[in-house]
Amino acid sequence: MKLLALMVALPLLTAFLLSVINSISTFAARWAGPVVLLVTAAIGLSAWPHLGDTPQAVQWGGFQAPLGITLYADQLALLFALAITIGALLLWPGRGEDRTEEHPDDHSRNRLRRASLALLLAGTGSGLALSGDLFNIYVFYELLTVVSYGLIAGRGTSGSFAATLRYLVISGFGAALALAGIALVYQAAGTLNLAQLAQLAPERLNNSQGFAAFVLMLIGFGVKAELFPVNFWVPEVYATASSRVSALLAGVVSKLALLIIMRLLILVFHQPEALTVLLVLGVLGVASGELAAWRARDVNRLLAFSSIGQLGVMFIALSIPGNAGVLAALAVAVHHLFLKPSMFLLAERWGGSIKGLAGAAKTSPLGAALFVLLALSLIGVPPLPGFWAKLLVIMPLLALDQPLYYFAAFIVLAAAALEANYLFRVVLTLYDKAPAATPHKAHATVDLATAVFLGAGLVAAVFMLAPLAERFDFIAAQATDVSTYIQTVAPLSLESGSVQ
Amino acid sequence: MSMDIIDSNLILTIAAVGLMLIGIGGIVISNHLVRIIFGIALLEAGTNLLLLLSTYHPEASAPIIVDGNVPALMADPVPQALVLTAIVIGVGILALALSLAIRVQRAYGTLDMREVRLKLEQEISAEAGVEMPSSSHAPAGVPAAAVTAAVHRVTPS
Repeated sequence: MKLLALMVALPLLTAFLLSVINSISTFAARWAGPVVLLVTAAIGLSAWPHLGDTPQAVQWGGFQAPLGITLYADQLALLFALAITIGALLLWPGRGEDRTEEHPDDHSRNRLRRASLALLLAGTGSGLALSGDLFNIYVFYELLTVVSYGLIAGRGTSGSFAATLRYLVISGFGAALALAGIALVYQAAGTLNLAQLAQLAPERLNNSQGFAAFVLMLIGFGVKAELFPVNFWVPEVYATASSRVSALLAGVVSKLALLIIMRLLILVFHQPEALTVLLVLGVLGVASGELAAWRARDVNRLLAFSSIGQLGVMFIALSIPGNAGVLAALAVAVHHLFLKPSMFLLAERWGGSIKGLAGAAKTSPLGAALFVLLALSLIGVPPLPGFWAKLLVIMPLLALDQPLYYFAAFIVLAAAALEANYLFRVVLTLYDKAPAATPHKAHATVDLATAVFLGAGLVAAVFMLAPLAERFDFIAAQATDVSTYIQTVAPLSLESGSVQ
Repeated sequence: MSMDIIDSNLILTIAAVGLMLIGIGGIVISNHLVRIIFGIALLEAGTNLLLLLSTYHPEASAPIIVDGNVPALMADPVPQALVLTAIVIGVGILALALSLAIRVQRAYGTLDMREVRLKLEQEISAEAGVEMPSSSHAPAGVPAAAVTAAVHRVTPS
């Protein structure tokens, strides 16, 4: 299982070697990235069945936790590590249009840069998913953020620079808050190893200092997870970055931040107030996101706001105590993981105003049909997977029998009605008889093929509902099993921070 | 003796939180991009100080064992290693932020965050071919065609 460390190390190594490889052979540099991602994905997939029996911990350099750095792999962590690896491969930003290149040298140099950044994204994303140590999580999170700055600004328009700068300001703010939260945790517990924190949390962090640390980290990591008050960057970035980058950020990277918050909730923070904060911010996220999406007049920002709404549903799901919350958040997250990148790929050529899409179904009937399917699943029309994901959120919300949770369930249902309204507006425009003045461009074959592939995944899920539900149940149960986490990492019972 | 420790820790903690608050204030209140970036730098400095203080003890010596002599009171090296990492990341991000600010200034001719926001909004709307959503920041009655002129292309140097 030590091989799992390669999921982090290989893409990082290749990313930095890429320009060296390029000076030897441009052909090798072109294919090195995708090949390495294929290899790391294969490593991850081969480890998948083993993790079904027992989760694995890797101690880097052989130092026992908490002295060494721990990677912890259960099926939940591996699922998201695979998602970022395969996502970077499918949405490979090394290809695709670039607006500023005029010279062929610029073209290959830009492609090389984007390939390096995509590899860094995969490596740091896997690292973030697999980390079993709070400070490593912070470092990987920061690296992931810096890589996304590069990918967004890489488009080279003035808008992308301005959007990146505004994103950087809010991210810098969030990162500092998260670090302050980590400082509070370390001050209280004297360790940052998640397994050891899980041991010490009931005694040392179940107080107001622990709650303050949670709120700081929630806001900090929430920046990337499009959490309600710190998400103004979302529409700006998704409207100015290239579609593939938006697809990666909205589809996969936001879920990685969600995974961190999920882990912290399961292992460290057990305060009931923490769940209330999540619930309130989730409800506000759903309401503000869906209303803004309803008002949006161009496709990219519509998708961006709807993504805020979906992430809000995931936060609401996380606020359900116990196993059911993790299961619901996981189901909505995986559904969104397939759906949103596919929609952003379709938006590649449909990026303009919604009105301008009139009659676009004639030029690309397959794209339009796929959009209808995705829209139906996003709204939650049975038997599509979106319906089951939403059911998993709403049923436990109602079962809790508390006014605030009832209200959340109502908001999620009302959001579905709004989603239906604005998505059907797009669908009706697509199938409009009178075509728009400007002719529509057909989708690039690769984009359409990738989008159809992701959509086919959703359709396949309809036919494999029973085994999928069973698997999700298992993953959630495995993730919420705190004692297995502690036993797997088996931290030495060191009393660190004994100077006090 | 222990009073001194409490006092120095308390003063340093107040300083750390104060730095963080000044930084947050700078980010929230200021509209000048360079001041906002300085705000981030101050916030990070305060956070780093807070992290160092999490196990600070004025009497502690470096955790190095020389000739088998174990110091009675050793400083915890973990927060120091963490702060070192955080400083390096912070410097890198600061440099990136300033270089992006230069690019934005070249493209939009301003370093005022409100104007940057407005011009960004205009550029996105113009590129998408939709009118600006009604906003209190938007000048009233500007036709969409005039907004199109606001779109700039920046060529990489």
